[in-house]
Amino acid sequence: MLRRSAFSYYIVLTVATLGACERRGGCTTAGCGTLIDAAVVEPPTLLPPSTEDIVASDIAEQLFLKLADVGMSTNTVGDEDFQPLLAQRWEWDGPLTLVFHIDPRARWQDGQRVTAADVEFTFNAYNDSAVASPFRPKLQRIEKVTQRDSLTAVFRFREKYPEMFYDAVYHMRILPAHLLRSVPREQWRTAPFGRQPVGDGPYRFVRWQAAQSIELVADTTFFLGRPGIRRLIWRFTPSLPVAVQQVIADQADIREQLVTPDNVERAKAAKQLAIYPFRGNVYTFLSFNQRAPGDTSKPHPLFGDRDVRRALTMAVDRASLVKSTLGDLGQVPPGPISALVGIWAPDIRQLPYDTAQAARLLSLHGWRDHDGDGIRDKDGQPLAFHILVPSSSGLRKQYARLLQEQFRAIGVRAEIDELEGSVVAQRTGSGNYDTAILSRSNDPSPGSGITQSWTLAGFGGSNFGRYYNPEFERIVQRAISAPKRDQARTLWRYALETINADAPGIFLYALANVGAVHKRVENVQFRPDSWAALLRTWRIPPDRLIDRDRVER
Amino acid sequence: MTGGVWLLRRLVASVAIVFAVITFIFILIHLAPGKPCSENLDPRVCTLLTRQFGLDQPIAVQYWRYLVELAHGNLGMSFSLRRPVWDALVETVPFTLQLAGAALVFDFLLGLGLGIYQAARVNRLPDLVLGNATLFIYSLPTFWLAPILLLVFGEKLGWFPVGGASDPIFCPQVDSLYCVADRLWHLVLPATTLGVVGAAGTARFQRAAMLEVASQDYVRTARAKGVPERQIVLRHQLRNALLSFITRFGLAFPFLLTGAVLVETIFAWPGMGRLAFDAILTRDYPVVTASALIASTVVVAGNLLADILLGFADPRLRVHAAADADVVTA
Repeated sequence: MLRRSAFSYYIVLTVATLGACERRGGCTTAGCGTLIDAAVVEPPTLLPPSTEDIVASDIAEQLFLKLADVGMSTNTVGDEDFQPLLAQRWEWDGPLTLVFHIDPRARWQDGQRVTAADVEFTFNAYNDSAVASPFRPKLQRIEKVTQRDSLTAVFRFREKYPEMFYDAVYHMRILPAHLLRSVPREQWRTAPFGRQPVGDGPYRFVRWQAAQSIELVADTTFFLGRPGIRRLIWRFTPSLPVAVQQVIADQADIREQLVTPDNVERAKAAKQLAIYPFRGNVYTFLSFNQRAPGDTSKPHPLFGDRDVRRALTMAVDRASLVKSTLGDLGQVPPGPISALVGIWAPDIRQLPYDTAQAARLLSLHGWRDHDGDGIRDKDGQPLAFHILVPSSSGLRKQYARLLQEQFRAIGVRAEIDELEGSVVAQRTGSGNYDTAILSRSNDPSPGSGITQSWTLAGFGGSNFGRYYNPEFERIVQRAISAPKRDQARTLWRYALETINADAPGIFLYALANVGAVHKRVENVQFRPDSWAALLRTWRIPPDRLIDRDRVER
Repeated sequence: MTGGVWLLRRLVASVAIVFAVITFIFILIHLAPGKPCSENLDPRVCTLLTRQFGLDQPIAVQYWRYLVELAHGNLGMSFSLRRPVWDALVETVPFTLQLAGAALVFDFLLGLGLGIYQAARVNRLPDLVLGNATLFIYSLPTFWLAPILLLVFGEKLGWFPVGGASDPIFCPQVDSLYCVADRLWHLVLPATTLGVVGAAGTARFQRAAMLEVASQDYVRTARAKGVPERQIVLRHQLRNALLSFITRFGLAFPFLLTGAVLVETIFAWPGMGRLAFDAILTRDYPVVTASALIASTVVVAGNLLADILLGFADPRLRVHAAADADVVTA
């Protein structure tokens, strides 16, 4: 104890002496404060249409406004639950025309007014194939955006459907046309603007230190009110354990996703941290490739057969796996959705865990252990396949081993291929795999995620396993177009039960999110689809300010 | 003149080695499976990007383009960082130099000191204790040591920062004495991790070299003439034992650069090692190749420097090298 004190004393004394003349402090009022987020990934750019990166999205929340945004309910149907942001108000001008009136107080941080021309420019940019925006497919049902006058933007849709408003506002962040018009669209991904953005949001960009941090400062003139905390810093740490350590050691204030039960326990034990559980937006599944690896014209010799897929699904005790690996941090998803999506319901019908029935089904299709080696076979071919799993994910690797054991119990041999993420992406993207443990993140609407990952629209895209069932497609289309929320909910339920019966994958777990935030911060709200969406309303009372909150530069 | 020829030949050979390394790396990384796209990126978007970056071209075409660009001093555009590779390197290389430099100083000052100390007390208690201690430390894998140091001295004791190169609030840039101290404070754990294992190895090598020299005639003669022991150790033993030290100095560069990859990743140190590691995982070909270019240049230059230093430390080596050069020239 004595040695530790002496050592600490010398370090503090040396640093304090060296820096005595340098450190300035003094901000002590409301609106002071600095929050450091321990981020695991550094975004490639801050230009919203060019990246789907989650940290880029968190930072963009502070820099670029949407016309309106979903509320805490994350209801995406209709417009009643949406909150105005850049648009002061809106109205429907007929069934296919939506008119937004931009708040006349809104300004870009270089002083220019935000206008309807910016909205039109933004829509055209997101839709330009040269920009290669990952959000482009989500805007396909908007025909065009025009300006009626400098503060009135008009959206024209191709068809009427319940989530028209959501599509109009959720995927696009309005961009400054006067600063980006001269940048060739094919260069947007590498545009310097993406590293030094000028926005219209509650915070201004200050600096980006590569591989270290991004700093924003509150825009005190923000037209919707001064943000509660003056400075936000995203500090990049390439490993989750170290990011969690930073928060526990009080060297950072926020870790929005603790991910593992162990991390949650450690964070709970840190006196200065408060824990915030919220709905997760990711589900993980074992994808069955229904086409022959490397040749999508032929069915997969095993997984082209619906009953084999069903048998394997029934062979897995998903509830026990979730309990043993994730404890309270995970749930078995009732289909290909995360807990964020409003249609989540635990009582949606799924295939049961029933190894006897699984074994019977396989035997019925001729898969028996003819040679007594413990592995079922048919026509001399063993019932064996590979599980592809990214080596970077400890949890998914653990699941691969657990699945391997459960399959072995019914006489099925699974070999695990642990490969780098880029190799997994290449092989799944090209259909060159048997099975793969994949994760998908949802936005709050079931429509776009399910369509892209599980219907014909996703062939060549995110529907890696090439699942196709015309009945499922029909129900999904009806659910998307259902005029009333209850009707849509019923149809989505039916759609999920249909896909569950087809077993295009084994839906393994949906992670619940748990965030940790320093206790000195008040009014903390995590909106489930975007934890940082309401950061501007967080605040630190003057009597709880600590050193890093008071610093002025 | 012959020394100049020798140096010129070494320089030409060095350039050839660097060229061979980047060619090898370029081909290898392009042949490796995987695409520069993340797991969840829509394959259609990935295809579009692949075309934008010219990766749909045959590897020979890509290599030729790379060489042409390199000849113009252009290292290309990073796929994952979305910025010129040169800009990324300019920002990260200084951090690796700081880390490797600090580790090198730690490694050689401590290692040299311990080696001399042990040799002067051979087979006595301090030598035995230090011998076992250095062997123990030398056996520690860096991938274990780094998180343990972070856990104990960063999280539990709170003596040092948990990762990073500077305090993002008080010292976003090193523009004051306080921030220099802050940088050094952040450097302690990563430099110790990288340097301490090397120091243990250096100590063992140095001890062995000192003992080997101790049995030479000129050392015995000096001792018989009554030269003070301190003078014998420093003037006669140490200078002659420096040859192995300098050789090890040259060999330390690859060790430090490869070690930096792991240490920078664990300690969130924003250096070139972490950049290269991320680039390999994301198949960011221009960054991988440029990192190989820098790393191979540093290693080759380090070895060249070690050879030159050897010539200064032992004039006999200069004579041999010159004679070899003459033979080849003739």
